[in-house]
Amino acid sequence: MGAILSYFKNILAGFWNLVLGLSVTTKYLFKKTNTQQYPEERMPLPARSRSMIKLIYDGEKDQFNCVACMMCAKACPNSCIKLEGVRGPDGKRRMTTFKLDFSTCIFCGYCVEACGFDALTFVSEEYENSVYKRGSLLQDEQAMKWVRPPHLAPKPEEPAAAAAGAQA
Amino acid sequence: MISGEKIVQLVSGLLQQVYALLGLSAYAGILDRVVCAVVMFGFVAVFVMFLVWMERKVSAHMQSRIGPNRVGPLGLLQTLADAIKLTTKEDVHPVKRDKIPYFIAPILAFVATFMGMVVVPFDNKMVVADLNIGILYIIAITSFTVIAILSAGWSSNNKYSLLGGFRSAAQIVSYEVPLVLSLVPVIMITGKLNFSGIVQYQQQAGYWFVFPQFVAFVTFIASATAEANRAPFDIPEAESELTGGFHTEYSGVKFAMFFLGEYVAVVVSSAVAATVFLGGWLPPFPFLGFIPGFLWFMLKVLLVIYLIMAFRWTFPRLRVDQLMDFGWKVLIPITVLNILVTGFVVLLAGKGA
Ligand code: SF4
Ligand code: SF4
Repeated sequence: MGAILSYFKNILAGFWNLVLGLSVTTKYLFKKTNTQQYPEERMPLPARSRSMIKLIYDGEKDQFNCVACMMCAKACPNSCIKLEGVRGPDGKRRMTTFKLDFSTCIFCGYCVEACGFDALTFVSEEYENSVYKRGSLLQDEQAMKWVRPPHLAPKPEEPAAAAAGAQA
Repeated sequence: MISGEKIVQLVSGLLQQVYALLGLSAYAGILDRVVCAVVMFGFVAVFVMFLVWMERKVSAHMQSRIGPNRVGPLGLLQTLADAIKLTTKEDVHPVKRDKIPYFIAPILAFVATFMGMVVVPFDNKMVVADLNIGILYIIAITSFTVIAILSAGWSSNNKYSLLGGFRSAAQIVSYEVPLVLSLVPVIMITGKLNFSGIVQYQQQAGYWFVFPQFVAFVTFIASATAEANRAPFDIPEAESELTGGFHTEYSGVKFAMFFLGEYVAVVVSSAVAATVFLGGWLPPFPFLGFIPGFLWFMLKVLLVIYLIMAFRWTFPRLRVDQLMDFGWKVLIPITVLNILVTGFVVLLAGKGA
């Protein structure tokens, strides 16, 4: 008798579990889908994702921030960066040409880190980096020109707060 | 008000006139059948295309994807594109195949299931051939797929195909039993083997058989899924074990035939389930009677098909031994028990044939 009972119990439990499974999939049938229709819909990447390297251009002063100090070129393990600069009339050095060969760049970010003049940066919005010709990967300063939108401007710490923090 | 009966009358009247115009009235009987077959084939082909699209949509949304959405509105023409691709493909075949069975198998696989559509009543009097023994006929004719699958497996001269064919034969033969047995209670209650008769009985009784015979309904759907070789019972073509199973060596139009046959089998099973258990063309409530019967019928068929699709995308595939266990140790005892209980109740109630 017990065997027969457990036989039917098993079948009922199995049936119930199948119904549970079906209810889960049916629930998902009516849920919103997660698909991103890529060429039409773009995923907004986080602001600090490292997709492409750009040269920051200062719109107010009408010049690149770069002062041709060569730190980035020296830091680059693959020597992708070639740049030249001249001393301007105000006695300060200015970058004249800047070339970054993305075909050998490994996006390690050492150049961005090495730059002490807030002139090189990673951007998040441009991530379709494939090209048809290898030569197109060699970008110059015009191709890498990037004006920092206001919402990404660095927020300097309040000096008073920093000092208070240092004292504490 | 539109009803299936009126449409049939209109069309047959029109056909009579066309025959008279062409001077073919003497052959009207044969020509009617030909027209029915062509119309049915067109309906089945389009419906199967829709079903493939629906299956892809259902599976996609169950997995939080979108599914086909590029070809035509909502991707509806995707299957058409696939069909065109399939039919224009080169027909590759193994050199050492057994020529005649290799050629016949896909045709038989499709025709055998397609013949089942003949007795399905879409609406009152809207049926190609209202056979007296419709249920018997449909069970007999759809079983021919076993032969098709076996000969496909044998003639392709490929061990995977052969294994797939054998598994499929074993499966279909064992699931044929609960499939038939789960229809028996309804036959006992109504005393009819005729589909329209069963629907009319449900109309008079005022209830659908899914309520008193819920167990039979469940076992029928389970064994119908197994009959159609669909997941979770798709062992004959388990990709991970047998590559494509019995249709590994088929390509192009012949593969399309097998594919079509599988879907038509689903349609036939769902149509039987909708007719026998869900009241066929009857509206769920009398006041909804203004909607024509064949629409209700299609709605019910789609409901059952959705259920079978949901099985496929929910349940994991059974192992071979589990499959046989489930068939012989669970489905058959339950259906037999159901028959006994139903017979007892029918005796007590003093009705039945
Ligand atoms: S990211 Fe690395 S490899 Fe690329 S330019 Fe900068 S330092 Fe060189
Ligand atoms: S480190 Fe910065 S400032 Fe110096 S050359 Fe490179 S980009 Fe220009």
